[in-house]
Amino acid sequence: MKKILAVFLLVFVIGCAKRLPPPAETKMPKEPARETVEPAKKIEKEAVKETVRPKEAKLQEEELALKGEVPAALKEVLNDIFFDYDKYSIRDDARPGLDSIASYLKKDTAAGIIVEGHCDERGTNEYNLALGEKRAKAAKEYLTSRGVAPSRLTVVTYGEEKPVCTEQNEACWQKNRRAHFAVK
Amino acid sequence: MKKTGNRQWAMGKRRESKVWSSVTRHFLLVSVLLVACYFSLVTVSYAKVYIDITSPAIRKLPISITAKGPSEAKEIEGIIMNDLEFTGLFLFVAPEAPGAEMTVQLGTDTSNDIKVLLSVFDLIENRETFKKQYSGTKDILRAIAHSISNDIYEIVTGKDGAFRTKISYLMQTSQGNKELRLMDWDGHTPIRVIPIGLTSSHAWSDNGRFLIYSSERNRDWKIYRFDLEDFRETLLFSAKGLNLAGNTSPGGEMTFSSSRDGNSEIYVMNINGTNLRKLTTSFGIDVSPVFSPDGSSIAFVSDRGGSPQIYIMDSSGRGAGRLTFEGSYNTSPAWSPDGKWLAYVGQRGGKNQIFMIKSDGTGLRQLTISGNNESPSFSPDGMFLAFDSDRDGGRGIYIMRVNGEDQRRISPKTVKAMSPKWSPFLK
Repeated sequence: MKKILAVFLLVFVIGCAKRLPPPAETKMPKEPARETVEPAKKIEKEAVKETVRPKEAKLQEEELALKGEVPAALKEVLNDIFFDYDKYSIRDDARPGLDSIASYLKKDTAAGIIVEGHCDERGTNEYNLALGEKRAKAAKEYLTSRGVAPSRLTVVTYGEEKPVCTEQNEACWQKNRRAHFAVK
Repeated sequence: MKKTGNRQWAMGKRRESKVWSSVTRHFLLVSVLLVACYFSLVTVSYAKVYIDITSPAIRKLPISITAKGPSEAKEIEGIIMNDLEFTGLFLFVAPEAPGAEMTVQLGTDTSNDIKVLLSVFDLIENRETFKKQYSGTKDILRAIAHSISNDIYEIVTGKDGAFRTKISYLMQTSQGNKELRLMDWDGHTPIRVIPIGLTSSHAWSDNGRFLIYSSERNRDWKIYRFDLEDFRETLLFSAKGLNLAGNTSPGGEMTFSSSRDGNSEIYVMNINGTNLRKLTTSFGIDVSPVFSPDGSSIAFVSDRGGSPQIYIMDSSGRGAGRLTFEGSYNTSPAWSPDGKWLAYVGQRGGKNQIFMIKSDGTGLRQLTISGNNESPSFSPDGMFLAFDSDRDGGRGIYIMRVNGEDQRRISPKTVKAMSPKWSPFLK
């Protein structure tokens, strides 16, 4: 042991430590949390339940619109449309839904829509983000071809990151391969 | 050659002990990238390579390890044995049993911080070939142990060990977002890096100082860079549409994909955000571009042929050729550090599996069979692959040797973790 200690006196020492700045979080850019910018999603969920529109709702609707809330007639038409696996072409069964959105938007020219593109979990995240964008853009193109101004439609992709269904079967995957519409 | 390397290393710089205080103060950051410890190199007298890892038939080296000292000694021994065992190159022999050709002795002293004295004996030549003391604070015990593993590995193989590397990865949060995190290569000491937004593609810069990544915040997909030395985030690229980070080249460039012109295409720019160049113009999806390790080629995914496949072009965007022909869904290319192989994800029978193929399109081999396996990433020494898998239920991070052996989960089952990216060698 003595011998070892003696040898130590002769050795060279490296400090691999560096001058270190303050720890994490302190310099993180302050960005608003995601949840705060997603009221549209919540609203859309309610819309699913509320399929029958009361006759006397018309007046109420205008009041809501004044308060910045989403009119029931708009909620009613904002239904998901669905896509085939690894495809972004608009299916025939998606056209009636898109047509309803287009005709609403032509009447209510103040409304703006967010078109979200989604995918099922198969495939890889990056490719699915690109695929989701293609789906959202296909839906947007369809709506603009029906006379909606492109500036009223904002496209965003979430790929496979925001599934509505998490089981591993075709029924579930089909629910996730969708374009989802939310109010701007 | 080995001797010279070590000596230069030992004689590099002298530092006085004043850094100690800063080391303690910033142990959190230290554990992110740096191993803040001192090495006192005593003896280096080995010239031979015990195991030639380039040889096709490898005989495992019989080795015994003894650890003396307090409870930390056992912990250090355990970490080192786990490191070495994962290489598949060592056969552990009990210290009292015959057969070992090398013994490793670890003398641990924890009376003041941690000091570990490593002695390596060659039992065939019957002499001590290596002796070194490692010291540091107790919170970096694991880093000290990994440094010792690296030295033992280097003595035996003549190559750098990857035991002090990190793996960046994504973790799903309860809000459905994904945060960017780091952990040791063995899954320990996880650290949160970017907690905000939905982070997707990410990569290490060549020198290990930066992480580049794409994050969705307020419906915008932008590319950011995070400096792991001063913990600062910089916005690198912002444009309408989907912008996804690729990786970096040794020349200081980075690849990415962007749909700013309407369609997802491959771009290159300098890592500081200048000198933007568009490399592809195809109707389909072009995504996931990655520079080869020498920066001369770019592999990427395109559905220009009707299904997603991997293509390789030169770094100026010319000469794109399809690499993968088996299967109708091949994505997530990752280059091996020597540039000879690519690992990727291919769909077979409805499940995603990890494959390897030579960059000339030959030598295809499948590495995984159970569950869905995605996001392959090579260790910087080319010996291992990290990937994610749902084979045990919830998605988690796994590692394996590049021949597919010893697949093991390194992230806890309590979290959903995915998209591992192995760091380069870290100093």
